[in-house]
Amino acid sequence: MTPEATAVEPHVREPSVAPGPAPVPAARGRREHPLARLRGELPMAARVALAAVGVVSLLACWLLASTLWSSGAFRVPTPLSTLRAGVELWTDGDLGHDLLASSRRVAVGYAISLAIGVVAGIGIGSFASLEAYGEAPIGLVRYVPATALTPLFLLWLGIDEAPKVALVVAGTVFYNVLMIADVARAVPRDMVTSAYTLGAGRWTVLRRVVFPHSWPGIVDVARVNLAGAWLMLVVAELLAANEGLAFQLTRAYRFRRVDTMFAILVVFAVIGVASDLFLRWLRNRTAPWARS
Amino acid sequence: MGPLVNAATIAEPKLVVDGLVKEYTSRRAPAVRALDGIDLSVGDGEIVSIVGASGCGKSTLLRIVAGLDHATTGRVEIEGCPIAGPGPDRGMVSQGYSLFPWRTVRANVAFGLECAKVPSRARAERVDELLGIVGLGGFADRLPGELSGGMRQRVAIARALAPEPDILLLDEPFGALDAQTRRAMQDFLLQVWARTRATILLVTHDIDEAIYLGRRVYVLSSRPGRVAARIDVPFGSNRSWQVTRDPRFLDLRDEIRDLLLANG
Repeated sequence: MTPEATAVEPHVREPSVAPGPAPVPAARGRREHPLARLRGELPMAARVALAAVGVVSLLACWLLASTLWSSGAFRVPTPLSTLRAGVELWTDGDLGHDLLASSRRVAVGYAISLAIGVVAGIGIGSFASLEAYGEAPIGLVRYVPATALTPLFLLWLGIDEAPKVALVVAGTVFYNVLMIADVARAVPRDMVTSAYTLGAGRWTVLRRVVFPHSWPGIVDVARVNLAGAWLMLVVAELLAANEGLAFQLTRAYRFRRVDTMFAILVVFAVIGVASDLFLRWLRNRTAPWARS
Repeated sequence: MGPLVNAATIAEPKLVVDGLVKEYTSRRAPAVRALDGIDLSVGDGEIVSIVGASGCGKSTLLRIVAGLDHATTGRVEIEGCPIAGPGPDRGMVSQGYSLFPWRTVRANVAFGLECAKVPSRARAERVDELLGIVGLGGFADRLPGELSGGMRQRVAIARALAPEPDILLLDEPFGALDAQTRRAMQDFLLQVWARTRATILLVTHDIDEAIYLGRRVYVLSSRPGRVAARIDVPFGSNRSWQVTRDPRFLDLRDEIRDLLLANG
């Protein structure tokens, strides 16, 4: 029993016979602090403030770790030395070059993956026949970890760009297809039947109703699975590459440059946040009707 | 029943439904008969209502006329032609959520005209005319999300009217609206009808709405759906809410309610 409850109880039992000043009626219901309310809403200022506190606490953890483990095998570089290593990497001309090489691989592979995802996903989400046909094989293949394909792709496709792009595709395409199929399934049936009764044919309905309705969802799916694309890229580059961000990671490892490795991790994080913000902006720009 | 039987409209109906049966078969259970021997007709320029309890199959009937579902047996003809599938000759408006939220009001109304490859100038003229009829000229460039529920249904009606359908099929079009808006929309539909003389088949569970809007009311029983009565409504085409206080209106309402209770 909570202390408030015990304090209130005699008050509730015999309010009228209690002598002294007229009793203030006890408030009904439990008051909750807005920060701790389930599914509550926060004012904008509080949200911004909390987000800032979140970033600061991450930095603080890093700073703390770097002072606790400042030397030895388990060494954490300070944010400042990481920054210095990053600048060094940049001025040596490597970082820009590697960033470009890695980004190009992700961009090509992910574009292919999304193109397949949109076509197959909308097909599966729109036609029960394609769903019945495609879902079982996709479901089977999907459980093969895409990273397990790495040696196979290296064997088949050599060690140039092709296996890296192929890994990015293989690691994301099934998620893109299945998630975009879900997005296409969410098109209200009333909307489709309305289009039909207005004289639209199947192709017109797909192009003018299913696709535009699915578009913001497709951008969201792209946003979520982009992280998977970078994951596959790193796997590919760690094994066989002579340029790229993960290649620099292995090089830094050889020279025991923990600060350089941290700088590259930060670059990954920055790319992630930047592409996330871009896709969010794109979604709101191209589908203002679906702004959340 | 009603004293007015309009022989002229029965002579050349737009829509004829004759002996329509809809059965749902499944392997485990015996076939379920949703609609059983439905006969009805809608004459040119008439508003005809179908009233029934929820689950009586009235929406299925409308979907069959729209070509979105198929009858097990029976005849459904529009201007003497059988129905193979949906088409712009049978416009449909359902309860809601059918407007394209990414298209402006103008572009929503234009959709059917785009499908019919109407040239853009003629399209724009027709859209403006329709938006004038439904009183939404000032909202042409808004998105559906910015409109109230009643306004959205007005857009849906304008959009369905745009390809000049032979018949307008309304499936509980005001079912998601609050009572006041609903009333206003019923008067609005009568106004639109007065200006366009569209042929309308309306499905509703609201007895007042069925009588108020319909020249004729088909009362559908439930499980299986059968035409329990065909009632001619004794009011002219120029109606206002005064008629809902008319004793004949009240009698009709009681009659239909009793029919629905007896056949529910």
